[in-house]
Amino acid sequence: MLTRYGALLFAAGFAFLLFVLFTSQPLGAPTMLAGQAVLNEAAGTVGAANIVTAVVLAYRGIDTLGELSILFAAATAVGLVLGRSHGKQASGEATEPGGFILRAGSDLLFPLLLVVGFYIIVHGHLTPGGGFQGGVVLAAAFVLPVLARPSETVSHAAMAWVEGLAGTAFIATGLAALAVDHAFLAPLLGTGQLGALLSGGTLPLLYLAVGLKVGAELASLLLRMTEEESGT
Amino acid sequence: MNPSFIALVVALPLLAAFLLPLVPKVLRRLVGPLVLLVVAALGMALWQASLSEPLVLAVGGFRPPLGIVFYVDSVAALFVLAVALVTLLLWPWGGDASENLDRKQSLTLVLAAACAGLTVSGDLFNVYVFYELAAVTSYGLAAGSRTAAAQVATFRYVILGSLGSLLALIGITLIYFRSGTLNLAHLADLAPQTLHDPLGLAAFFLILLGLGVKAELFLVNTWAPEVYATAEARVSALLAGLVSKLALLVVARLLVLVFPLPEAREALLVLGMLGMISGEFAAYRARDIKRMLAWSSIGQLGAAFIAFAIPGPAGVAAGLAIALHHLVVKPALFLLAERWGGSLARLAGAARRSPLGAALFALFALSLIGVPPLPGFWAKYLLLSGLAAQPDNLYLLAGLVVLVTTVVEAVYLFRVVGVMYGREAKGEDAGLTNTGSANTQPASALAGSGVFAALLLAAALAAPLLAAPLGRMATQMSDGAAYVARVLPSTATLSGAAQ
Repeated sequence: MLTRYGALLFAAGFAFLLFVLFTSQPLGAPTMLAGQAVLNEAAGTVGAANIVTAVVLAYRGIDTLGELSILFAAATAVGLVLGRSHGKQASGEATEPGGFILRAGSDLLFPLLLVVGFYIIVHGHLTPGGGFQGGVVLAAAFVLPVLARPSETVSHAAMAWVEGLAGTAFIATGLAALAVDHAFLAPLLGTGQLGALLSGGTLPLLYLAVGLKVGAELASLLLRMTEEESGT
Repeated sequence: MNPSFIALVVALPLLAAFLLPLVPKVLRRLVGPLVLLVVAALGMALWQASLSEPLVLAVGGFRPPLGIVFYVDSVAALFVLAVALVTLLLWPWGGDASENLDRKQSLTLVLAAACAGLTVSGDLFNVYVFYELAAVTSYGLAAGSRTAAAQVATFRYVILGSLGSLLALIGITLIYFRSGTLNLAHLADLAPQTLHDPLGLAAFFLILLGLGVKAELFLVNTWAPEVYATAEARVSALLAGLVSKLALLVVARLLVLVFPLPEAREALLVLGMLGMISGEFAAYRARDIKRMLAWSSIGQLGAAFIAFAIPGPAGVAAGLAIALHHLVVKPALFLLAERWGGSLARLAGAARRSPLGAALFALFALSLIGVPPLPGFWAKYLLLSGLAAQPDNLYLLAGLVVLVTTVVEAVYLFRVVGVMYGREAKGEDAGLTNTGSANTQPASALAGSGVFAALLLAAALAAPLLAAPLGRMATQMSDGAAYVARVLPSTATLSGAAQ
């Protein structure tokens, strides 16, 4: 009982602290120092119409590599905690297929989700979206059929290959820049015409790698959890 | 040395971790150690190059205040070397099903990359990303022993760790909101006008508490004894030895560069003292050897926080000495304690069953207490002389705390050594004490701690020779103006960014 009130008191105090800290600042008028400089030059130097992408993949590309690795570490940790040491497969009882509407819906949605996912990924340097968002849509595309037909499992080995190769592609693009330009993760291949699908140099390639990795990582994470649930 | 190679210390371990599951089985066990050896070689080369002048790499080729900067001075290079070597010594060689071993090796490689990133990064948000990466891998590794107790302990660790990350993120947000930049050198340049006020200090305290979760700072260290007692010895050694030091290093950098204020120092000093007192007395009361080591580690990190609170190169030198000493001693002790886990009473007669293990334990314990001529003595000597040179009474009080807790430390460590070398319990108690193989260390743990012991003895013998490089490293790290000048060569770049 005491700990519950303690937690409540802590949460209230914390909320009050944040309230005081942030209301003491002028709302909507942040100091734009690095931000303004990036806004001014990003379109010209990076060639991405979506400035957010220029920041995420070019100016702060190593942060994105770090975030990809966080997702990778989380998926690996979940595998370590849930994974079975003896490779026991999920038992056959929970593999009854879903109803007609679920199955037909997932059949219809699967190609649609793939198209939408890849569209969001390859247009990441032009419009809002990109590898992370598109990758989540791709993951949904692969989880949906499993919901409809639990007996049809997706191969973890194939997922592992996509995951590993996509991550490698990201770092390899960075290393190529290191070899050519002496700067790890520097954008290569010129900027192209601003706003064209093929512009922004290696940025679309990096986003494709991000999208595939995020998609494979999330899908295998979700599938592992559903297997764990149906297996016990 | 070409600074563009700095990126490899982060990129190579990550690449190896991503590729590990795809490598053919025959070669798979070699990938990690080989990559770590390459990183160690890079760290060595960087250390030699950076002793004369720090190296700066603009990642992606974007000029400093806009892009992310990697900054390697001799301290950072030494820690890169330490990260690679310690990870290699604590490498998961086997003992699991193949699939889980792959996962543990991947996670260990990612942890090495995150730690290397923490040491070299010169950008506040990039530091946060690597800190979070180190956090997530630690959760996975801590839960990796797959016992229920470890998972419960890890769950608490995740809750506290997430709260810490949140606090740090809020602090970073405040700083960015205020100053409009994340580059540490740029922040150092702008701090006197924008951050040296109550709001800036609040941001520093939030970051301090956030990073303090990993650095076992007082108030946010409650996860440590539970996790270290239940995780594999290798993992406890990594977390207590390595990860805690890197969080500490980041705090020290922030203190030197952005917040060289008396209030910030006092906060570090007070939290360090409280950590030392609570840690060492709790260790005194602990009846389980791993918990005892965990509490002692909290005490030692308290001492390191106290050391970094001393202004100028003297404080940095003392802090580095304590941190590096603890980096060598604590992993070795955790390795030795692996098979002795459980109640202290079960250690009776351990010296007879495992003479080498007990001797090594005694050696490390002596150094931890600070018995000359072992390096632990020099670390505490630097700390105490640094504290004594400060006019403020708070520093004298800290010196008193260090002396008193050293006595406590000596009492509980000698007690353990006494039990180990004492006679075995007789009669009905004899049934409780473990006999046979359960009470001796596996060869790998002995070999690992043997290497640490060799390092310790080498440092003891070469102590006079180490003073000069340590001093140079401390001068380099405590010179905030040089950092700014090196990363942002001309003020023209600064005003260019400001427009």
